[in-house]
Amino acid sequence: MATIFEKILEEQNKEVPRVHGILTTDKELLEKWFYLMVLGRALDDRAPNYLKQAIGWSYHAPYAGHDGIQLAIGQVFDKTTDHLYPYYRDMLTTLSAGLTAEEIILNGISKDNDVASGGRHMSNHFAKPEWNIHNFSSATGNQTLHATGTGRAMKKYNHKGVVFCSQGESSVSEGYVFEAINGASNEKVPVVFIFQDNGYGISVPKKDQTANRKVSDNFRGLKNISIIKCNGKDVFDSMNAMLEAKRIALHEQHPVIVHANCVRIHSHSNSDRHELYRDDYELNYVREYDPLAKYRRLLLRYKRFTEEELVAIEQRVKDTVKEAHKSAMASPDPKPESIHDFVIGPAYVSQKYPEGLHDGKGVEMKLIEAINQTLKAEFRHNPDTFLWGQDIANKDKGGIFNVSKGMQQEFGAERVFNAPIAEDFILGTANGMSRFNKNIRIVVEGAEFADYFWPAMEQLINTSHDYWRSKGQFSPNITVRLASGGYIGGGLYHSQNIEGALITIPGIRVVYPSFADDAAGLLRTSMRSEGLTMFLEPKALYNAPKAATLVPEDFEVPFGKARIRREGKDMSIITYGNTTHMCIEVANQVSSELGKEIEVLDLRSLSPLDHEAIVNTVKKTNKVLIVHEDKVIGGVGGEVAALISNEVFEYLDAPIMRVGSTFTPVGFNRILEKAILPNNEKILEAVKKMLNY
Amino acid sequence: MEKIALIYSYNTRNTANVAKEIVKAFGKSVVVEELNAEDIDGQKFSSYNNLILGVPTWFDGELPNYWDEFVPELETLDLKGKRIAIFGLGDQVNYPENFVDGIGLMVNICKKAGAEIVGYTDASGYTFESSAAFSGGKFCGLAIDIENQGDLNDERIESWVSQLKKEFR
Repeated sequence: MATIFEKILEEQNKEVPRVHGILTTDKELLEKWFYLMVLGRALDDRAPNYLKQAIGWSYHAPYAGHDGIQLAIGQVFDKTTDHLYPYYRDMLTTLSAGLTAEEIILNGISKDNDVASGGRHMSNHFAKPEWNIHNFSSATGNQTLHATGTGRAMKKYNHKGVVFCSQGESSVSEGYVFEAINGASNEKVPVVFIFQDNGYGISVPKKDQTANRKVSDNFRGLKNISIIKCNGKDVFDSMNAMLEAKRIALHEQHPVIVHANCVRIHSHSNSDRHELYRDDYELNYVREYDPLAKYRRLLLRYKRFTEEELVAIEQRVKDTVKEAHKSAMASPDPKPESIHDFVIGPAYVSQKYPEGLHDGKGVEMKLIEAINQTLKAEFRHNPDTFLWGQDIANKDKGGIFNVSKGMQQEFGAERVFNAPIAEDFILGTANGMSRFNKNIRIVVEGAEFADYFWPAMEQLINTSHDYWRSKGQFSPNITVRLASGGYIGGGLYHSQNIEGALITIPGIRVVYPSFADDAAGLLRTSMRSEGLTMFLEPKALYNAPKAATLVPEDFEVPFGKARIRREGKDMSIITYGNTTHMCIEVANQVSSELGKEIEVLDLRSLSPLDHEAIVNTVKKTNKVLIVHEDKVIGGVGGEVAALISNEVFEYLDAPIMRVGSTFTPVGFNRILEKAILPNNEKILEAVKKMLNY
Repeated sequence: MEKIALIYSYNTRNTANVAKEIVKAFGKSVVVEELNAEDIDGQKFSSYNNLILGVPTWFDGELPNYWDEFVPELETLDLKGKRIAIFGLGDQVNYPENFVDGIGLMVNICKKAGAEIVGYTDASGYTFESSAAFSGGKFCGLAIDIENQGDLNDERIESWVSQLKKEFR
């Protein structure tokens, strides 16, 4: 009896049905393929001319040598049902999928009506989001996570389609590619991962990447995955491989790896000189297997076409390229004033609570209850909501702090589920799932603690670019919840604040409530908005009575709306999160002891900031202290101080002062933690200094 | 013994050298006709009953294009009654994952077309990870490794040709 491993190997070594061959494929189809291949090559060969003439296409990764597999990927892709993630070398893939020659050139020379991005993304990054040919980052292989996420959506919505995700063999060395394929295997999603193996990652040969010469062998131990190897230089072998891969993904509902052996006839890109590391013998060897020349020879050898017929097709291509060039050159360039368009998807607009303030009616809740109840309410409100993260859903467990307790019981495992310990995967698949349908709203617990979110930074950065990069064609609609901050004796990896880094990223929002009602209101707005919101939760306040408030059932807090938590006239403290409560306590103490009234402004939203509220409080009190738990250096306070200096400097009667963490990690011993984090004592000292100024 | 067709690419260096050695080993008593694989066709191929094919391995385990482009025609031929022996060159040290795969690929194609494969050799003495030409301790042809075991070439070729003299008719 065969072992499970032998069965996997047997499955992986099955012969691919030979649907196509030079003797059997319809002439019409052979002609179409020849036309596309000649067209692709004409554009690929022409691309460097645009750079030489200083017109554009300053990044060009020639695809010559990948012709068979790229033709095949495009041919099996159906824009009405499938999704495609082509990488930066996939010119023929996208032509074969339906892009026109003009669309290719428009991307190459970065014109305003480039369907991929309107000239915002690099050249040679072909996409058409309208057809689900996705626009994504240049970071090699990161699209694999998106692909698994889109595959997850197909599965959850019972959609009959396939996700095609293409990459070079060297990018398989990226850790997140393993995360993506491991997840695809575990969730059995209909994704075809295509490795276009040309033997090099720029100048790095395969032997320096991984021990297996055929990198797909690295995935042989995974269950639920088929591996098909093909000759990516050969049209028929590639077509048969891709058709079989699509059949398996669609009908057997599990992922497939297609490993296509290609050659790279030219350098990696126009910034690479392959003659520095490849000798003449090798260059001749790869040129000898030029896939287009081979296909042409076959068409003639087996008398499927005459020389005259092929020449006529080649002439047709020349005419097409000429026309496309003319038209693309006449297209408008993007306008400089458009740079602020499409930075982030539209926010939900609150009709009832435009200032994010309520009349004090509602149910008394702790901060943790407010988040839990709002999550549930929004899941009832919108059936296209999903929640996943580490530790999120196992019986009565709902996240490390039980914030999402009861979610899976009420909404089921299809909508609320655990994720592997892979933060990049958690966020990257959210991005991909969001691409399936713009109504989908995803909440992820980005990591067990904010401190562990760093592995997801790669996906966060790429995701932050999506709306702008696609010129508003795709918005990742995601709320990333993170338990943040210290005062729990958690030490270096359970107490950090990361918002200082987050607010430097355009294309995301960052909110940080300090009371239950604002947590509920901001979460509701996040889950109803387009775009990505980092929802930072001060975990020390989850169950703190001082953070509990009355919470109206339908409360909403718009982004960029601060809240005066205590009125005052003698000075202002601008703060958020854990330190809001300390500032209020200090203000009350100062009021009773010194008779001075301090205004406490809770920012709530760190990106965007509420300029108006900040300016107004400075104008009112003329003295401002900024307090936050995050480090003073590189913290939010620096931006707030700069804003005040720029806009209301003349209203200041004292220098802007800041209180925050020391420029050190947060120590584990409570003595160290106390010395590092801000507290009432440190705030009071600064307040007194300011009042006396 | 009927005449033998020895088909290999005249553009190759190492494969051609081995082919020459094979001719030499057969001696003058056997007619070995050399043909260029670059312009082989079904008619020429079918006109022999004893054939030796020189099939190197390209890239990560593929046929060279001159053989690959002949395969669609080869598959249409009726090779019943033909005895085919295949030799190929490989590098056990640098390409251990697809050592002499070309031999195995071509053997499968010829077998499907009805040919009888001769010239199996013992695979002991070679070290590699996998090979499409390897099964049950044997290669389905003659594996030559010039880079790493060049000193064994003469012995291996001599031995193989002696074997073929018995297996060809």
